[in-house]
Amino acid sequence: MLKEIKVSCSPHISGPFSTRRVMFDVIIGLFPAMAMAGYYFRIRAFVLIFTCVFSAVVTEWLCNVIGKKARPFESLGDLSAVVTGIILALSVPPGLPFWAAIIGSSFAIAIGKMVFGGLGSNIFNPGMAGRAFLSACFGLLMTTWAVPATIDTKMPQIAADNTVDVRTQATPLAWSKNAIKTKTAAGIVNRQLEDTFTGEVGGCLGETSAMALLLGGLYLLIRKTINVHIPLAVSLSAFVFASVGYLINSEAYISPLVHMTSGGMLLCVFFIATDPVTAPLTTRGMWIFGVGVGGLTMLIRIVGEYPEGVMYAILLMNAVTPLIDRFCRLTPAGGKPNV
Amino acid sequence: MKLDTKGRLTFPGGVHPPTGKKLAREIEIQDGPSVKQVSIMLSQHIGAACLPLVKKGDIVQAGEKIGDADAFVCAPVHTPVRGKVKEISLQSHAVLGRSPAVVIEAEADNPTRAPQSELEGDFDINKYSVEDICTAVREAGLVGMGGAGFPTRVKIEPNPRLPKETMIINGCECEPCITCDYRIMLEWPKKIIAGIKLAKKASGCSRVIIGIEDNKPEAMEAMSAALNDLANGNNIKIVPVKTKYPQGGERQLIRAILKKNVPTGGIPPMIGVVVLNVATCAAIAEAVVNGSSLTHRVVTVTGNTIAKPGNYYSAIGTSIKELIEFSGGVTKKSAKVVLGGPMMGIAVADLAMPITKTSGAITVLTKEDIGRAKFARRQTACIRCGRCLEVCPEGLNPTKIAHAVKYGFLDVAESYYINGCIECGCCSYVCPANIEVTGYIKTGKIFLARQKKKMPE
Repeated sequence: MLKEIKVSCSPHISGPFSTRRVMFDVIIGLFPAMAMAGYYFRIRAFVLIFTCVFSAVVTEWLCNVIGKKARPFESLGDLSAVVTGIILALSVPPGLPFWAAIIGSSFAIAIGKMVFGGLGSNIFNPGMAGRAFLSACFGLLMTTWAVPATIDTKMPQIAADNTVDVRTQATPLAWSKNAIKTKTAAGIVNRQLEDTFTGEVGGCLGETSAMALLLGGLYLLIRKTINVHIPLAVSLSAFVFASVGYLINSEAYISPLVHMTSGGMLLCVFFIATDPVTAPLTTRGMWIFGVGVGGLTMLIRIVGEYPEGVMYAILLMNAVTPLIDRFCRLTPAGGKPNV
Repeated sequence: MKLDTKGRLTFPGGVHPPTGKKLAREIEIQDGPSVKQVSIMLSQHIGAACLPLVKKGDIVQAGEKIGDADAFVCAPVHTPVRGKVKEISLQSHAVLGRSPAVVIEAEADNPTRAPQSELEGDFDINKYSVEDICTAVREAGLVGMGGAGFPTRVKIEPNPRLPKETMIINGCECEPCITCDYRIMLEWPKKIIAGIKLAKKASGCSRVIIGIEDNKPEAMEAMSAALNDLANGNNIKIVPVKTKYPQGGERQLIRAILKKNVPTGGIPPMIGVVVLNVATCAAIAEAVVNGSSLTHRVVTVTGNTIAKPGNYYSAIGTSIKELIEFSGGVTKKSAKVVLGGPMMGIAVADLAMPITKTSGAITVLTKEDIGRAKFARRQTACIRCGRCLEVCPEGLNPTKIAHAVKYGFLDVAESYYINGCIECGCCSYVCPANIEVTGYIKTGKIFLARQKKKMPE
């Protein structure tokens, strides 16, 4: 019974972790957000999510076939393509045509991930890369917001556009931008806090409900799939930045709480900025990265021209992640050796 | 007074693998197999290898010295049995590959060494001078029995350049599955305390701290009782430490107990500390009090498929195969035989490999113990999750070093302090991608040493 013994280097046992389990946890964490998307945007939400996931998976398989991988299905097993598909779907407007979703999703996987060498080698978060591509190509489609099916338009000064089959509505952040320009009416946006928390506002598919994203984020923290540094760094820096604006002029700048619960902020805090592949490795690096993401987001939202800045903040900080890693070298516990 | 067995001291990092100690922890130390043939490796320690003092055909007595060298860092080797030298040949060695060994055929009516027992009668430290102790320890061939095998004489003898203040006794046994040190602490605590007193006297340390993981309260109680008997008021105390792997690494134990860091690439005497394993302490007492050399040691033979797991007091030089057969053999299909525990042990390919002074355990693992993905060597790419950085007890960046080695950038690996790695295996253990991080780092260390011509090709 000891005829066939194997040899390998130690350790000979491994912990209860796997890449698939990590990705599966992220999917579970995104579940509340997907459910809320389904509640507000009905069947369309599920079809859109499915479209993105399906095309992401097919694209990865195609890339493996083109790259002449010995087992083109193998890399699909780590579920990272599924995660990318869901993240992309949750960060596009609910009314996005399916063909655009397919294009975005394929770009996210093919150019965002596979050309760099697949999982673990990509510089940019694939979901955000896909979204950036869609924003650049189909600007209008990416800023046309459907109203949640559960409500009638609440806001008085909405320019409702009933020319298409989905009713549209501006997002809280678009009003915020308006308030900054006119230096008035930030208070009206602030009154929407309850809606941004539950998600009864216009916005991207999975970004509207702060409640659902918090729930999912909490799950990931409890499961230790993500650690607390990046979420804390992003939210703290964004909150401080927004508070400064609010304290200076509360008529022009909306409350930091609305900033935190609206737009892609919470999706970014728990699911995008924490993407391990594109974030720094060390704790110090994670704080620099997180503060950078939070700060840049707010800079774009408050000072910049766009109403929402999460995507560009993430992509910019992704680009400097290797530099942060190099800057934040660890010192061994025993100090630097005297060589 | 009730002994406080809750460990609060620890080090940053580390992991909690399943202990697997229940298989052998309640089984008393028994005599090992009576062997027909032993192979005594000439290199069982760190330092210069021994040269054989006997030749083919010589008759040797049990306990006779059969190999030694003049080098300072060296420990002689002895034969555990009476018999005839069959040959001096190359045998499998866990670390060195094929390495010279003296093969001895035991005589049929070999008087087996008296079953190892607890120290009897009174123990008077004043009978032994520092020179006596150091000479006895050197002549008995004592080495660190926890695994590294550094000659004990070199550790404990007074050294004016690096004066020692604190002696730490390592009773952690953090490695999963192994229970030999635990049994020694339970059954021979007096011998350990006597050895500690001898080592304390020789080294000139002013205080001794015995670190025991808090999952071994029985051992703590036994040791504390023996301490009260033999060494009251000697500035020796028992400190419970948290149960965590690798708490028993000497750098980690020093960090936990003294809150001091041994310099990277340095050794404990640099900060005035000497660390001894409990089994080594027991062997010191035996060597000095009874004059017996290190020819036997307790070996845990364990594994879910071993018929009779246990702790066997076995002759050094016994083959792994004999020990496994003595433990009733394996009951089911097994995948790996590991010399040592599952975290740091070395998988052996040749079951004829003899055990050495540093072999604390033989662990037989099945496919299920190893885990399906690890068994199939299924790896995914590194997702940079940073778990290896979190658990690294030395505060290194394991994934960076491993990938630098993988792609041949040894200078990068070195600049990330590859030589600070203690090879504990925590990074490989937690890696969700199943990357053999420790394996790459070990390989990189060897490549670097070769590059610097410190090690032959």
